[in-house]
Amino acid sequence: MATPVPVLRLPKGPDPNSRGFDPNSPRFIALCRTSISSSAASDTNSEQLQKEQDARSVLREGFLRCLLSMTNKKVQFQMYENVKVEATFGASDIDVLNFQVSDLHTPIGVQKEALIRCQDVISFTFDV
Amino acid sequence: MMQCGWPLMGPLRWLHYLNKEVTVRAGKGEEHRGWLLSVDPVSASVVLVSFGEAVAVRVVMGHAVEAVEVLRAAADDETAKSLRSVFLPPPSPCLDPKELRQRRDAVRRWLQENRIPVEEEGEELKVAGVLTIAAPYSAHDCRSSNQIILDRIQRLIGIQDCTNQGLPL
Repeated sequence: MATPVPVLRLPKGPDPNSRGFDPNSPRFIALCRTSISSSAASDTNSEQLQKEQDARSVLREGFLRCLLSMTNKKVQFQMYENVKVEATFGASDIDVLNFQVSDLHTPIGVQKEALIRCQDVISFTFDV
Repeated sequence: MMQCGWPLMGPLRWLHYLNKEVTVRAGKGEEHRGWLLSVDPVSASVVLVSFGEAVAVRVVMGHAVEAVEVLRAAADDETAKSLRSVFLPPPSPCLDPKELRQRRDAVRRWLQENRIPVEEEGEELKVAGVLTIAAPYSAHDCRSSNQIILDRIQRLIGIQDCTNQGLPL
């Protein structure tokens, strides 16, 4: 990629609004469960549930610390269709459905601020 | 989208993979290797870390995980130590008790000059009954459940820190 070109507006998608971010859009409903539910209460006794909740806290804390250390760092996103982009990480929403990034280098230019749909991302990497 | 069982395994099973060296197959033939630091219970995303020239972290989104295989079930002591400290903030430098007391008094006086009720509670400062400042009494050491007061006190202490260091406000 030669000189980055500031991108003012990406083409509009087929949705009438928000290109798939709208929680009522068919794409969102089809692809984005908001959370992985805990085990059914009938299957587990309260001790098991307690253990599961403890496990959840430990795991979630580890993940949140990872997100925290990612803030303002350059992150490379590996997405579907062999798309690789780099951006400066800003924030994630609570369900890890969208990432807010700055200076997103895309094949058609540099987007100053952008939202990345996590469903489009396979993996991402950064150096601590 | 093909979904393997990974997101459905649940926190108790994910916990078993913690601090093990694993290979994660994802997306279209991607394979990533690293020490598993955590699995997000909300999205089943896998946090892997590898130690090379730099400490590189790769997160594989839960919905893209095809398979996770354990390569090494236990880390050696050095790796285990590194794993524990990957995301921890750097330890704050230790100040001697006299300097800490001086600093605490300076912060308390500054707050009082700004007409803010502050009391000493042991080693900590209690501000307006709702905010606590622990050693070494910088803006980062403020803790409160009230966001507005937290913001204002942090700014106030920030101003004092900038003045002390001769930095522009």
